[in-house]
Amino acid sequence: MLAEVEQAIKDIRDAFDGHRVDVEPEPQGGAYVVVHDLPVGDKYVPAKTWFGFLITFQYPRADIYPHFVDAQIRRSDGRPHGAGISGPTQWQGRAAVQISRRSNRLNPSVDTAATKLAKVIEWMRLQ
Amino acid sequence: MKRPISLTIDELLYQRLHGHLFPGDNDEHGAVIAAGIAETERGTRLLAREVFLARDGIDYVPGQRGYRALTAQFVAEQSDYCAAQNLCYLAVHCHGGTDEVGFSGDDLASHRRGYPALLDITGGGPVGALVLARNALAGDIWTTKGCYELDYTNVVGSRVRRLFPNPRPRPRHAAPLYDRSARLFGDLGQEILTSLKVGIIGLGGGGSLINEWLARLGIGHIVAVDFDRIELSNLPRIVGATRWDAMSWLAGQRSEKLRRLGKRFASRKVDVARRVARRANPSIRFDAVSGNVLDESTAKLLVDVDFLFLASDSIQSRLVFNAIIHQYLIPGVQIGAKVPVIQNNEVGDAFVATRPVLPYAAAGCLSCHELIPASLLQEEALTESERTSQRYIDCPDVVEPSVITLNVLSAAQAVNDMMMIFTGLYREGVKLPHQIHFVRERLMNQVESMADEFCPDCSNTVFSRRARGDRVRLPCRE
Repeated sequence: MLAEVEQAIKDIRDAFDGHRVDVEPEPQGGAYVVVHDLPVGDKYVPAKTWFGFLITFQYPRADIYPHFVDAQIRRSDGRPHGAGISGPTQWQGRAAVQISRRSNRLNPSVDTAATKLAKVIEWMRLQ
Repeated sequence: MKRPISLTIDELLYQRLHGHLFPGDNDEHGAVIAAGIAETERGTRLLAREVFLARDGIDYVPGQRGYRALTAQFVAEQSDYCAAQNLCYLAVHCHGGTDEVGFSGDDLASHRRGYPALLDITGGGPVGALVLARNALAGDIWTTKGCYELDYTNVVGSRVRRLFPNPRPRPRHAAPLYDRSARLFGDLGQEILTSLKVGIIGLGGGGSLINEWLARLGIGHIVAVDFDRIELSNLPRIVGATRWDAMSWLAGQRSEKLRRLGKRFASRKVDVARRVARRANPSIRFDAVSGNVLDESTAKLLVDVDFLFLASDSIQSRLVFNAIIHQYLIPGVQIGAKVPVIQNNEVGDAFVATRPVLPYAAAGCLSCHELIPASLLQEEALTESERTSQRYIDCPDVVEPSVITLNVLSAAQAVNDMMMIFTGLYREGVKLPHQIHFVRERLMNQVESMADEFCPDCSNTVFSRRARGDRVRLPCRE
């Protein structure tokens, strides 16, 4: 795993302290990451889910998207997921829902894998 | 340190330094350069990143032993900065004269007094001193293993110049083969082209044209990088490729097994390029690199070229190209043609792009121009099955149209840019904006330069790779 990717994972562990973080290196120097039991608010059932994503070897220049969450997650008001959330699909052997949030103005000196995950969680809470 | 030892400085930084050292008062002035370093089999290159101008009477004052000296405080501030940024510290001052320059006895004595300590402070340096006349530059470079003279300095801009401590002998007459070219460039121009090492990333339609023209210009050394093999559909565009190279009788077979066999034994694009280059110039040195520039070991083969062409479509290779340009202060140009086909097979706004990239600080690189989108970098890193499942492409077999005559438009401008830059034929102050040729409108647009002052490739911010050379990693796979 490349040093930049290792640093990104450290940032995630620091930012999401107390949550289990699974890491699986991929052959190009990046890593598949899953952060468990993240709260997405009472608009969803269940209100906690895992988030999975790929940090590629050109991180931090490359964006991190899409993110994936457990395919079981439903809106508590019974409506279907809106734009930006699609599925079900398979991700790393897991049944998942895909959340596509690109960063069109990514600033690699500021935007980290941890801040991106926090933004995606926040976006999901607001849907 | 491997010889020769050189300094590379971009034209804008050099003009700033030169203007400070030679304001017209015929007096002595000083400065400090913070530089990165690159060491390869071609020698050691110091890479000027920043210039700190010493204010007369405040930072540059009458010396106790010599005529003038940098103050201890100024030296401490700049050397601390170099240590913190892992850069080399180079003190600069000027002497009179024009085409010849050297250090005085006082200068050399001060180096002996000061530089061992500076080597410690900066964590091993190298450190050193430069002395400039109006058109000459000499250097005394110190490392933990010894002292070395600077052999020459390259000033890189829209005209690349080389400065020496003293005048060079006249160039030899160009070979009769190059008689007509040398009438344009002069013997010196032809000699310069013969001494160049030029890199080409991508030997497809555009890159293969560049390759042949470089060889015919008399470029001495080409490094060609491509991982691909010739396919039947490449033959209308790749210079020198034959049906034999494409294994055309197998490529046209119904049997998948035979077609795969054809692909496996088809010629590598770089091998075809080598054949073409050697036919044009039998004495050329040609490195045919069958590899991907995304791999660090392959990208490293390009860090000591004098000029770099990018003729590959991927955004990932754009990132590596842009990084090499700015990290190693190598001028380059990216070319491409885009022929979008929209609904009902209608051809959209077809255009051809030629994008010169000079290694200037925050002056509009490919990243500043938003030509390296973070989202596409991420998409290109996915496996084909991931891309399909994440629906970034509808069909993996979709390929864009490509025609040799459109490739020629950008390739010709790109090679002319390189030729004019190195032979000094561009008029002073010529700018090299990106050119977009909209072929259906027969319209040529010059793109206004966009600069990002926080650019991670070309700015001078602390997290930028600019001029750091070997001291930061390229954005590659290990």
